[in-house]
Amino acid sequence: MNNIIEVKEVSKWFGDFHALNNVSIEVPEGSIFGLLGPNGAGKTTLIRMITQITSPDSGAIVFNGTSLQSLNIKDIGYLPEERGLYRKMKVGEQALYLTQLKGISKKEARQSLDIWFEKLNMQDWWNKKVISLSKGMQQKLQFVITVAHNPKLLILDEPFSGFDPIHTEEIKQQILALKEAGTSIIFSTHNMSSVEELCENICLINKGETLLKGNINDIKGSFSKSLFKVDFKGSQVAFANALGYQFEIAEIKTKGETSSALIKGFDKISPNMLLKSLVNFVEVVSFNEVLPSMHDIFVDQVTAKNSPADV
Amino acid sequence: MSLLGPLLLAGVVIFSFWLNIEESDNQKIIVVDDNYPMFQGIEDTKNIDFEVQNISLYKALALLEVSDYTGVLFIPSNILSGHSAQLHFKKTPSVNIQRTIEQKCQQIIEIEKLEDFNISESDYKRIKSPFHLQTLKFDGVNSTESDMLPAMVGWVFGIIIFMAVYLYSVQVMRGVIEEKTNRIVEVIISTVKPTQLLKGKIIGVGAVGLTQFLIWAVLSAAGITIGQSVIMSQVYTTENVLSAQNMTPAVQQQMLEENKLNFSEFSKNDNIFNSIARINFPLMLGLFIFYFIGGYLLYASMMAAVGAGADNDTDTQQFILPITFPLMLAYIVSISMFNNPESDIIVWMSIIPFTSPIIMIMRVAFGIESGDLWQVYLSMALLVATIALMIWASSKIYRIGILMYGKKLTYRDLVKWIKL
Repeated sequence: MNNIIEVKEVSKWFGDFHALNNVSIEVPEGSIFGLLGPNGAGKTTLIRMITQITSPDSGAIVFNGTSLQSLNIKDIGYLPEERGLYRKMKVGEQALYLTQLKGISKKEARQSLDIWFEKLNMQDWWNKKVISLSKGMQQKLQFVITVAHNPKLLILDEPFSGFDPIHTEEIKQQILALKEAGTSIIFSTHNMSSVEELCENICLINKGETLLKGNINDIKGSFSKSLFKVDFKGSQVAFANALGYQFEIAEIKTKGETSSALIKGFDKISPNMLLKSLVNFVEVVSFNEVLPSMHDIFVDQVTAKNSPADV
Repeated sequence: MSLLGPLLLAGVVIFSFWLNIEESDNQKIIVVDDNYPMFQGIEDTKNIDFEVQNISLYKALALLEVSDYTGVLFIPSNILSGHSAQLHFKKTPSVNIQRTIEQKCQQIIEIEKLEDFNISESDYKRIKSPFHLQTLKFDGVNSTESDMLPAMVGWVFGIIIFMAVYLYSVQVMRGVIEEKTNRIVEVIISTVKPTQLLKGKIIGVGAVGLTQFLIWAVLSAAGITIGQSVIMSQVYTTENVLSAQNMTPAVQQQMLEENKLNFSEFSKNDNIFNSIARINFPLMLGLFIFYFIGGYLLYASMMAAVGAGADNDTDTQQFILPITFPLMLAYIVSISMFNNPESDIIVWMSIIPFTSPIIMIMRVAFGIESGDLWQVYLSMALLVATIALMIWASSKIYRIGILMYGKKLTYRDLVKWIKL
């Protein structure tokens, strides 16, 4: 698959502070890419380079096969984490102005905005002043302004902060719909559950350096602790005996006829081996590998990196 | 505000004008004359009635308390040597009233003394010579009369530039702070370059300023003219003007004759329309627009840099004072300029770009020698060069400062950002 954007070994210094150190990311076209990292990791610096607010000290950024240049501005929509609007302007006026800034005509901007206002039930906001909107409503307006010029690449920095669960769901659905329509999305957040829900690929950076990157399932697999959850019917003794020396029971609970066990494997073993040894002794009701959550991986990786002495 | 402003301004001017011509209530004054009947001849005026009474001050004051008299003028017996009298009043009379009473008393004393020294009134009038010093500016070829009117016009131009530069450059700063604290700036500079945004803001506010300003100028001028002509037509009839001078018809007549005699040769110059005609309006307007725009660009670019570095209005205080100091200095100097329009300090300030927008236009209005014209060119060139330098430095500060939050701005930061 084509990459919409490739960041190649980019570095950035602010005076003596090394904000980014040889960071590379590749965002496949039409996918949602999670840019993760603790506060101050360098996410915003990286995003600002993709949006051409600042330029890298070394390295290169390639957009859709060619070096990133100022005409790509209209291909990118950026919703910053710290965001705001002109409070005294009217909603419609402001949306038109900011959309036109991306280089599209007033007519096109108006058409696109009308579609989005309808999609998100905002039609009667057009002549209101921004200051009269609630925080959530302003966020929604900002989202619309970010996407109204139909960018190829959408950069969303904490898009759900400030939203109630209903609005969060509404925006999430819009993001997924945009992805289906072929928009590539860079999604920066601290909310790991939404990362697992939305992203195909991620990059975790900390203190300006890449800690992890790749397909989210591959990453989770690589952090597998060989934990399996088995629900079965039958004797717990028989179950214990059936396990070979590579396994031990971490936890076992009984609920009526069914028991539920958490099994830890000592080596990298395949789930099939475990299943094979069990099926002749108990009736396996359900079986699945327990993978670490992105939350755990994030916390483990960042803590390990920040306090190497504890490892 | 665009429309309300000029109305208010015109209102203030007309109100103060009206206040000036509006006399306090009519005065009814008992004159207690210890040299009775020396002051018997004191003349009433339009709004002062004198009643000369041969009573004691004590009785007069008692009368003042219970009656509708407004004051007691006490003429002591030594008036001819002491030259001093007392006015007792219930309600403070206006300065004009006091001055008129002074003049009336002086007239009486003068007439008394003329008799004492045996001088006839006509001799006295011949001795008492009105005197006029005509000042002429010699430019190497011609002498032209210098008067205060062109200087006043220049001063008004200078003050307008001062106010406009201050108001609109502060407006640029507030705009920058608003965009920064609003965080909308990050969205905008992902679309346009920070320097483009900065230049757009400065040009935008400048254009708004100039337009607003023109509306103000036209409407204020119209308002003042209309207001004045309405008041003038009521108050300044010839009769009123002459009687307001507290002169008897005889004196007025005589003054007119003397004027004809002594000033006839000046009268063609002594005309307000000639004064106005002497102002080189195309030059003045050209310079006014140049220095208006130049001064604004210079100060707006500095203010924009301060706005970009600050997180809120309070942070900007320490920078606004030093930046606006030259502007304030120019304002103060512009007032003292009437005393000495060609001192060294004023020449310097008219060349230095931070004060030249206000001072140079005044210097030109006062009249600049053709040999000194190079100073005008130098001042303009320096201003343009300084603007270029300031815009360069402030865009450097701006593009970094605009994305910096939560840090108190220091002078060291500014220098560091310029070097980056």
